[in-house]
Amino acid sequence: MSTAPADGIALGYEPADDAPRREERIWIPAGGCHVVPAVSAALKAALLSAVLDFRPRRDARVVVLGAELEALDARARAAVRAQVAFLPAGGGLISHLNAWENIALPLSYHAPRQMQGVAPRVYALLEPFAGDVRALLAKLPEELSPFEKMLAGYARMMLGAPRLVLAEAPPRSLGPAERRQADEFGAAYLARCPQGTFVRLEDGHDEAGEAG
Amino acid sequence: MIGVYRELEGSMRLAAHVLRRFWVLKLPPVAEEFVRQVWFTGASATAGIVVRGALVGTLIIAYVIEVLDADAALAVRILLWVVLREIGPLIAAVLVIQRSGTAVATELALMKISGELASLRQLRIDPLDYLAVPRVVGIALANTALTVYVQFIAVGGGMLLSALTIHVSFFEMAGSFFELASPLDLLYAVGKSLLFGAAIGVIACYYGLNPPGNSINAVPKAAISAVTQATLAVMLLNVVFAYLVYGSALFGLFTASQ
Repeated sequence: MSTAPADGIALGYEPADDAPRREERIWIPAGGCHVVPAVSAALKAALLSAVLDFRPRRDARVVVLGAELEALDARARAAVRAQVAFLPAGGGLISHLNAWENIALPLSYHAPRQMQGVAPRVYALLEPFAGDVRALLAKLPEELSPFEKMLAGYARMMLGAPRLVLAEAPPRSLGPAERRQADEFGAAYLARCPQGTFVRLEDGHDEAGEAG
Repeated sequence: MIGVYRELEGSMRLAAHVLRRFWVLKLPPVAEEFVRQVWFTGASATAGIVVRGALVGTLIIAYVIEVLDADAALAVRILLWVVLREIGPLIAAVLVIQRSGTAVATELALMKISGELASLRQLRIDPLDYLAVPRVVGIALANTALTVYVQFIAVGGGMLLSALTIHVSFFEMAGSFFELASPLDLLYAVGKSLLFGAAIGVIACYYGLNPPGNSINAVPKAAISAVTQATLAVMLLNVVFAYLVYGSALFGLFTASQ
């Protein structure tokens, strides 16, 4: 395992020396929009578990926003974690809440006082991508198209203004136009959070031949 | 045996979590979940209870007066013992198990297998805080309200229907009722209902959050486990209450003096 300095690194993941070959090294500098190609399902699971749940594989080195996770105490880890967001391909929506409730959920849970004036911000976030924002916000997840689900997840992520975004690649079921729009999420994020880092994890294939 | 112990321990841990994290109800999204649960368990269940409750009351009065050839005072006394202390809380609990117990277990199991609990964790929201606490507290409070409603309908409706169908005066029965009823009866029923509701909520949430597998087949299994275990828990709690209050349980098999 390398001893490369963690300063200026937004996301670093180095598997243990005895880890399977599928777990490659990820080392992403802070700032900008990055695409990590061909991420296997195993690596994605290991990375997300390490970064989002603080459960790194044994002996793996994990760097988030310039900090070695292993060296941090629980409070400092929580502070780092609060600045990281994950944008799943399916939006990660809760089925019994409509799109608006889904978008507002984390903010109203963690910072209810910041809820004032949040509706215009949500409209401003969604208008470049959606025609009828009001109709979209009233829909339950089961009524949303795959792109609309991802869009709701994007708006929810943006309200938290994270410093690091881990995004899954858009679902394969999207049409070309929607896919192009989904590709713009990184640029739209950086336009609003210039200091942030957007990392898109492109699906790869596992060694066993399964789709990643 | 280990499985039973694990389920019991898991339910106890969940109950302790609810007690420890009660304060999350003040968070707006959790409060909304709480209100939804109270609405679903309590308010939306009331319509179905009216006829059943009134019929139970009528049946008891008619049976005591017509079959046992007793007077109105005894009929009301039995109505008081049976409905206020025992049948009222049990009818409400059975109804809540049938409706909310299955609904909560099914909903949470579906959320678990579809990855929604993981999504909540990714948003730094503890699923127990957001999903379990409002459901357990909501079911406990709604079950209590439902019990009071059942008692009111069964006693009032029973006396009214009895006055219409058999030769007994409504006012005579009402007079006997207010003479015999004690606030302690209501307090006993309320305490019991709170505990019944909390047990139903905890068990439904536990089985919903821990379905036996990650496939869709696990959902009905979780619902069945929740219903059977919640029914068993309510029966056991009823026995414990009976033992504590009347000094005997299981028809005198265990008595307080032993």
